[in-house]
Amino acid sequence: MRPQAGASVSRRRFLSLSAGGAAAGAAALSGCAMQVSSGVSGSGETVTVMVNSGDILPEQVQQAKKELGIKIALVKYDITKLIAMLTSGNPPDLVRGVGAVDLPYFAARDVAQDLDPYFARSDVLKLDDLDPVNDLWRFDGRTQGKGPRYGMAKDFSQDSMFWYNTSAFDKGGVDYPSELEPITYEEWLENAKRLVQRKSGQTTVFGGSFNGLTRSTLLTTMTASAGGSLFSDDFSRVDFTTPEARKALTWYIDYCKTKVGPSQIQPDPNGWDGPTYQAGRLGMSNSGYWLGGMIYPEKKLAEVSRLAPAPVFAGGERISACQGGTGLWMPRGAKNKDAAWRVFEWFFGEAPAKARASGGWGIPSLKSLRPLMPAQEEYQKRVLKVQENELKHFSVVSFTPYTRADAIDALFNQIAPAAMKGQISVDTLAGSLNSAINEQLKRGKEQVG
Amino acid sequence: MTVDQMSPVADRPSGRAAASAAGRAPATGRRRLSMTARRHRAFYLFTSPWIIGFLLLTIAPMAYALWLSFTTFDGISPNWKYVGLGNYRELFNDPVTWDALGRAGLFAVTSVPLSIAAGLALAVLVNRPIKARGVFRTLLYLPAVVPPVGAGLAFKLLFDPNSGATNGVMTFFGFEAIGWLADPYVRYVLLMTVLWSAGNVMIISLAGLQDVPRELHEAARIDGASAWRTFRSITVPLLSPVLLFQTVTGMIASVQTIMPMLLAPLQDTSGITTIPQSNYLYMMHVFAQYFALGRYGYASALLWVLFVLILIATGLIFKFTSGVVFYNVDPEAKK
Repeated sequence: MRPQAGASVSRRRFLSLSAGGAAAGAAALSGCAMQVSSGVSGSGETVTVMVNSGDILPEQVQQAKKELGIKIALVKYDITKLIAMLTSGNPPDLVRGVGAVDLPYFAARDVAQDLDPYFARSDVLKLDDLDPVNDLWRFDGRTQGKGPRYGMAKDFSQDSMFWYNTSAFDKGGVDYPSELEPITYEEWLENAKRLVQRKSGQTTVFGGSFNGLTRSTLLTTMTASAGGSLFSDDFSRVDFTTPEARKALTWYIDYCKTKVGPSQIQPDPNGWDGPTYQAGRLGMSNSGYWLGGMIYPEKKLAEVSRLAPAPVFAGGERISACQGGTGLWMPRGAKNKDAAWRVFEWFFGEAPAKARASGGWGIPSLKSLRPLMPAQEEYQKRVLKVQENELKHFSVVSFTPYTRADAIDALFNQIAPAAMKGQISVDTLAGSLNSAINEQLKRGKEQVG
Repeated sequence: MTVDQMSPVADRPSGRAAASAAGRAPATGRRRLSMTARRHRAFYLFTSPWIIGFLLLTIAPMAYALWLSFTTFDGISPNWKYVGLGNYRELFNDPVTWDALGRAGLFAVTSVPLSIAAGLALAVLVNRPIKARGVFRTLLYLPAVVPPVGAGLAFKLLFDPNSGATNGVMTFFGFEAIGWLADPYVRYVLLMTVLWSAGNVMIISLAGLQDVPRELHEAARIDGASAWRTFRSITVPLLSPVLLFQTVTGMIASVQTIMPMLLAPLQDTSGITTIPQSNYLYMMHVFAQYFALGRYGYASALLWVLFVLILIATGLIFKFTSGVVFYNVDPEAKK
């Protein structure tokens, strides 16, 4: 029956109209989403960059507009949003990423742009000027560190190094660690035990913190330091029961058990070492050169702070990897690739790169910018000497492309506390980690194909 | 004169008659809608923004999540596949899921009665004719308007085991410090955050209390009933619809709480699983599966199961309270 003019709208008809309206609305919303990186806006081009607040400052956005004639539209980094944008075919033009762990994941899923042709014709980013850390942004379809470049690190640190507070060492009557020769992990833990200060059940000063950038990168690099590899040759499995991986795992669980520093069973409410170290409540902090950016502005703290090499396992190889290498990559579906590359060059090789190099928040990823690293004060010169020596031991420790580091960390966090509390043995933990993480890797491998 | 004759609309035809009259109206000139048709149109016009929003923002995502729950989709990888009920089968065999669900249920049955009791007690207090009653009402309600993120931060600072005020006071009096933000004590901190926002419950209960007819209390007093008896036999029954509303909405909110995340020092999505086990509730598990493990399919199945469980729990609450909830409605008025 056809509805007559003047008759009331039937419920069925109303609902069908609403559903139609909803579908149209959804299409309209989808259309709006498609405008995110349309590329052209007003007089100049627009490049959408997904970063954390602070990665690109508002004044740098203005600077880019002035110097490049390109408008940078900033989008707050959010992995969920990024995945939604990638899935809908409207990715940002440049995206923040942690080279050490993000690149293999995205490159294996074919969503990252091979930047080799851009590097080949760049006058700003020359291949022979790139620090080896940028190899973290290479992936040949199987192994990280080889093959085409998909991105670049904005700066880096060797994240197994540690800072220490000489006042805490003096107070505890502990000898300072050498600044050029590494101590062993066992010695580090021994020092932490002697530095920790407790009163009425409260830890007033943590002896030391050693948690790596993430648990997965920590255990991967520690296993490498012990002379092994956490992953199988094809990166489709982990094995925590090999002697080297077990050594690394045992050490970390011992560290947590002794409660000399923050861990999952004794969390630091600050969430990271910075404020605790700044307050003089942390004897040693497992952080690389970048922590200097926070330490240098406080002269008193800077004068009692020293940087030390990455510890080694007794008899093990001296490896000092970068667990981060945070930078930018370009999605394959970026709409405005040429303009994005120009922003890429500017961000990594021009004014912003120079400003970062002199800030002390990381080692520049271009060798030519190293002379800009802060070295005016005596303590800065001292730190720089340690860092320059440590660079000789840099190596890329490859990560699996089959899952994100977050997933491995999440599974570790779920399973390991029982061992940290002494409820299960390290061997039981190793077995549980193998089965949970390998299941995740298996799912990832199936999906990558 | 009858009531119908007195009515200003008494001389108008009924809706059906009006509609048919409208249908017979001559084609010339602008056709006029009947009153009923206009009412219907107005109703649908006014409700359509909500209905369209509901379809777009609730039904469509729910349908999408239902579809996802039958797949291995991880949001980005190209080779996901359809697994039918595979995710649901895995869910029913996953002890972590059941533990998280059990803890969420325990949290709901503990926190909801506790917050309702606390809110009701506060409402009774500030409903009394005391001096500066308005000030007390404001002060007690104030915590409820503090954003949860701020409240979480405040509780973290207060209960920091090494530098927090709580342990500071305890050690001052010679007690050993307690690791408040770790197992097993962190569950008590979580319950305290619930009580912190009891002002919400208080304000609704207070509105209900002010609807209780004063003459009933006066009659009870004249009959010699004690204050407790009056509260139990008059106040509570008359307040029962409000209490039922608070129970149902409280239960739904409590199983979906994200407060444990705000009490933990999370740095990234993987940090979700660093939440101490006693606070690792069902929604934490869902978050971990979605955003840390990238298991969109499995996490969607978890959400659908939660949705069905909430429906069942709500139905059970209505069923078991039907005999004790007193609706102050004249049954004759419905006829």
